[in-house]
Amino acid sequence: MALLEIDGLSKSFGGVTAIADLRFEVPKGQVYSVIGPNGAGKTTLFNMLSGIYRPDEGSIRFQEREITGLQPHKVAAMGLSRTFQNLQMFFNMSVLDNVMVGCHLRTRSGLFRAALRLPGIVREEREANRLAREELTFCDLERFVDLEAGALPYGVLKRLEIARALAVGPQLLLMDEPAAGLNDTETAEMQRLIRRICERGITVLLVEHDMGLVMRVSDRILVLDYGSRLAEGTPSEIQNDRRVIEAYLGGEVQYAV
Amino acid sequence: MADQILQFLLTGITVGATYALVALGFAIIYNASDVVNFAQGEFVMIGAMSAVALSAGDNGLPMPVALLLAVLITVCVGVLLQRFAIAPARGASVVTTIIITIGASIFLRGVALLVWGKDIFALPAFSGEQPIHIGQATLLPQNLWVMGGTGVMVLGVHWFFSHTAVGKAVLACSCNRTAAHLMGINVGLMMLIAYGLSAFLGAMAGVLVAPITFTSYDAGVMLGLKGFSAAILGGMGNPMGAVAGGLLLGLIESLSAGLISSGYKDAIGFVILLLVLFFRPSGLFGRASVERV
Amino acid sequence: MKRLRGLFLLALLVVVLPILFPDNYYVTVVAVSAALHAILAVGLNLLMGYAGLISLGHAAFFGVGAYTSAIITTRFDLNPWLAMAAGILLTGCIAFIMARPILRLKGHYLAMATLGLGMIVQIVLVQAEGLTGGPDGLGGIPPLSLFGWEVDSDLRWYMVMSTVMLLVVWLALNLIDSRSGRALRALHGSEVAAEMMGIDTTATKTGVFVIAAISASLAGSLFAHQQAFISPDSFSFFFSIELVTMVVLGGMASTFGAVFGAFVLTFLPELLVVFEDYEVMIFGAILMLMMIFLPQGLFVGLQGLLRRLLQQRAPARLPAPAEEDKHGAA
Repeated sequence: MALLEIDGLSKSFGGVTAIADLRFEVPKGQVYSVIGPNGAGKTTLFNMLSGIYRPDEGSIRFQEREITGLQPHKVAAMGLSRTFQNLQMFFNMSVLDNVMVGCHLRTRSGLFRAALRLPGIVREEREANRLAREELTFCDLERFVDLEAGALPYGVLKRLEIARALAVGPQLLLMDEPAAGLNDTETAEMQRLIRRICERGITVLLVEHDMGLVMRVSDRILVLDYGSRLAEGTPSEIQNDRRVIEAYLGGEVQYAV
Repeated sequence: MADQILQFLLTGITVGATYALVALGFAIIYNASDVVNFAQGEFVMIGAMSAVALSAGDNGLPMPVALLLAVLITVCVGVLLQRFAIAPARGASVVTTIIITIGASIFLRGVALLVWGKDIFALPAFSGEQPIHIGQATLLPQNLWVMGGTGVMVLGVHWFFSHTAVGKAVLACSCNRTAAHLMGINVGLMMLIAYGLSAFLGAMAGVLVAPITFTSYDAGVMLGLKGFSAAILGGMGNPMGAVAGGLLLGLIESLSAGLISSGYKDAIGFVILLLVLFFRPSGLFGRASVERV
Repeated sequence: MKRLRGLFLLALLVVVLPILFPDNYYVTVVAVSAALHAILAVGLNLLMGYAGLISLGHAAFFGVGAYTSAIITTRFDLNPWLAMAAGILLTGCIAFIMARPILRLKGHYLAMATLGLGMIVQIVLVQAEGLTGGPDGLGGIPPLSLFGWEVDSDLRWYMVMSTVMLLVVWLALNLIDSRSGRALRALHGSEVAAEMMGIDTTATKTGVFVIAAISASLAGSLFAHQQAFISPDSFSFFFSIELVTMVVLGGMASTFGAVFGAFVLTFLPELLVVFEDYEVMIFGAILMLMMIFLPQGLFVGLQGLLRRLLQQRAPARLPAPAEEDKHGAA
């Protein structure tokens, strides 16, 4: 059974169509990539899946439940987490606190209990602290624990965003261009990290421009063009798909083949 | 009843014209530098107070000269404010700039208190006190000066931004500072012009309205708040929207003072402002902006 | 107890001051208003400093609290503690209702909306003469008493006010260092990301707005009983601005910064009195200069300076802590 089912999804902004009647399914436990040229609607798709934008039409089903139009924090509570293309770090907080925010859904205490520091709080804090440190270690960030997020270099911040998203405890992780701006070494690390996330049983939905990374890391790939589905399949199917090659390389293909 | 309403409308437009000039000043500075200038009301006060001081007494200057000098003094204050308080704090947060301009406003008020004391002053009307009758409603010649003066200045500002190279350069800075700088525009100078122009509008509002409302060292506070309200009401991003917001606020206040309660007229103005913010945060005449994630 | 070291220091100071300087005007009178201002500033700092939501109308909640206490105790002769609770309840309800529409706004629009709310409340206080006594104010408010212990001298007020201040600081420190506190700070850092972490940002904003409001109401009730007479002047736009200035002056997102800011801004005018006519001008100039040259706040700025000095002396083993609020957008 598919973890995520998208059917007839459409969204336009002031007459410009971003996503048009899109349909696809993400199987559980895989790395599923969405590729396409700039402006193909990838980030719009992510924003709809995570509840930031409301779709004009269509349905999004996650774990066999309708999540279309739910607020982002409700979507997150159902087990969907994400990272952002342009970093959305909490720069006013420490690295550890950033990830501890990710544990928000795994802890319960409210404003008043916290203000009075009732007994349960200390235990809960310790638990959140432990979870956060685990995810930091998983993403190879343990040596930055006590630093302020604002003091970290870009490549580290990219991984910190992932650690924070993992702390939510997601079934599905949406990653929006995790390798953008990384050098080759960092990209290789990122590739390993994505596979390790998948091995933990977390399904990964990936948007990425680095084709090498996409081809190496993905189980299946969806190609978007002008907001609709151009092709879908395994990496080798996609690499040999005429329509994809045409879209990416233009008319020259006619002569090349 | 109809005559009464006509009277309220006339008063409302006069008051609204003053608000409109202050709001226009707000909008110009906001668009040029992303700063909400809480010292805007002090420009009005300084304009009016220096005009009074310069023209008063036996060896006071002739009125037109005094007015000209008063406006000039205020423009200098505006330019100095930009140069020494706003420019050094570039890139500061919204709260920080708000407190800087509030500090500036308290400072200017303190100076005014020192120079002119706590007394209330009036400026003689420009062309007599003979009321003009329109039906049952009356109008002072000074009201016409306020309306006419405001009209001329609003048109002037509109022309400045749409037809002069300097005006367009100021607008370019507001759109994108870096790009404007790369295009060879002297951004610093444009900021000075924006603040100077804004102070000029404030001072003009001050001298035009002083014969009707009187003036004192703390007259700028409420006007500043009203101007800010008007600018938000009309839409900060749009200078002409701010003007419309000013006129509207003046009319709302005058009508609610006349028809409902004079004590609550300011409250009614603020309630309407809140409603506009709740249901149309970009202002009545502003354009909504889309936030990108 | 490293967490609460600052609180113990503050408590020590509170105890030592009246012993060292008994009957000193600055201790028994000025410090009492400073403690009152600190209660207000700490509450406002939760909203402004941590959650990043500016309010230019905080005096309104202070006023509603004060007037509820005053009206209930003078007109209906009810127990002051009951009146205080009623004030907190009323303010909490007002804040809860206003929070949703107001906190959807951002930046200057939020500033304007809160300013408008403050103005409306002040105008009502002036105009509703039948209830509030209008511009002339309301007098004859009874003092507080605690199990027969009347709070009727300056020193006793010093004890009560500083105890409440310490309590409020303790609550604020606990809150910030918790799940909800992190949610608040996350909201300031990035609202979308906070939502994606499962934080109900609307509810969180509403919660902090209500907490800031009820702490202001509590301060208002204390103020009313301490002064025995209140008038709308104490709850004007200027007081809201003063509160914001205390928070920013101390350094946003620092509870002790807010306390520090409250003390500086309460003592400053007392000291400037010697300049007589120049007072207003000098006050404005100090405000401007401080914000231009120390935008991160006096307390946080000094803290950073101290830290750097200490580090120069003993080479740090840990990597240098990042400048506070480097990315701190407002």
